[in-house]
Amino acid sequence: MNTLILYFQREWQLMFRNTGTLIQPLVFFTIIALLFPFSLPAEADLLQRIGGGVIWVAAVLATLLSLESMFKADYEDGTLEQSIIHHRSLALAMLGKVMAHWTATGLILSLFSPILSLTFNIPSEQIWVLFVGLLLGTPSLTLVGAIGAALTVTLRRGGVLIAIIILPLYIPILIFGAGMLTQSAQGLEIISQVYTLSAIFVLSLTLAPFAIAGSLRATIT
Amino acid sequence: MPNDASKTMQHQHLLNTRELSCVRGENTLFEKLNMDVSEGQCVHIVGENGSGKTSLLRILCGLNKPENGQILWCDDSINLSDQLAKELIYVGHKDGLKNELTAIENLAFQQRLECHYDEDLLDDALAKLKILHCADLAAQALSFGQRRRLAFARLLLSPKKIWVLDEPFTGIDVSGRTLIEQLCVEHLKRKGAIVLSHHQSLQASPLNHFTTELLIESFRPQKESEQTKARKEILGVGS
Repeated sequence: MNTLILYFQREWQLMFRNTGTLIQPLVFFTIIALLFPFSLPAEADLLQRIGGGVIWVAAVLATLLSLESMFKADYEDGTLEQSIIHHRSLALAMLGKVMAHWTATGLILSLFSPILSLTFNIPSEQIWVLFVGLLLGTPSLTLVGAIGAALTVTLRRGGVLIAIIILPLYIPILIFGAGMLTQSAQGLEIISQVYTLSAIFVLSLTLAPFAIAGSLRATIT
Repeated sequence: MPNDASKTMQHQHLLNTRELSCVRGENTLFEKLNMDVSEGQCVHIVGENGSGKTSLLRILCGLNKPENGQILWCDDSINLSDQLAKELIYVGHKDGLKNELTAIENLAFQQRLECHYDEDLLDDALAKLKILHCADLAAQALSFGQRRRLAFARLLLSPKKIWVLDEPFTGIDVSGRTLIEQLCVEHLKRKGAIVLSHHQSLQASPLNHFTTELLIESFRPQKESEQTKARKEILGVGS
């Protein structure tokens, strides 16, 4: 537990001394989402219908963009080697790191999504649905994505490969996340989607750290 | 091979390798490598560039996997990785420092991971390597030599038995080298052990008294790979 907290703290410290990387995903997210209202015909109804899906796709892309750098710096400066050698659990250490990474991407995107929803004219009841969906979905996005980042850490241009490995795995999360909005727009219950997203989250929280540690060991050695 | 066998006999074996071999691409770098590291002993791995010095050290740390063979801890292979990881510290080519953190924060993180935080010990370690004045500078503001010294300060934070040092004297000035050699001698006198690679002889250094040289080339297989043979034929160089 101590290991997890220590790595979480260090990652926070690093992020706040390197504010550029902190802002990047949010700016990217906003721009992607804002491109749609500009490029589509000005029908309030259309934007309202596609808005939730667009914000979800933007969140997925912003997460994906931030993945490449997740273990890169650690690999290059040798701190990753040290973490692997160290007798403390690598899985817990990396979980701490990934959680810190999520607070800088997923959490901030979720918090910012209500403001973006306004540009799509999404009704206020549904803003909550979108917010809760993103809050439940983005941790899984980051955890699953971190496996891809760990697998490609030694490659020079791993970004595209991460996208190819990881995007198919994002589809279930996207289906249930964006499905929540469609359901609620039709006035249906959304509780089943909430449960499914939570289940995916719990599953990735328990299994992903070991997969991350395993792939880091395999790629480095 | 050991130049002072009588001395190494009375100390306990810490680390042994048995029939270790390492393959890089097509080439076998070394095979059937047996090495004993005992308390108070410094093993100096000698070899040309590309002869497998770094590979051997990384195998000892568990960063690379050997093609064959095993590593024993205290003549016992049970729970090796756990025991070894607790007792081993590695300073490699990459210094393992975070650029954004200050010198003292970098060290403090290491120390907190070991669950004992002691600010005096941190200052002490920096002072021993004569970089106390850089304590609150970000690591990216330090010079190459200062970063190397900071990486070595890590060795002093926790009482690990085995130090694995890869080319410890690169990028370090004469006074720094003397400092590090001094620290190594102190460590050996405390019944620690060191495995280091260095391209020069340690004859003139105070470490010499404790040192056993291990010539890595003597473990290179005589048989050349097909490709090397073919290349030599083309070039007309006799093998």
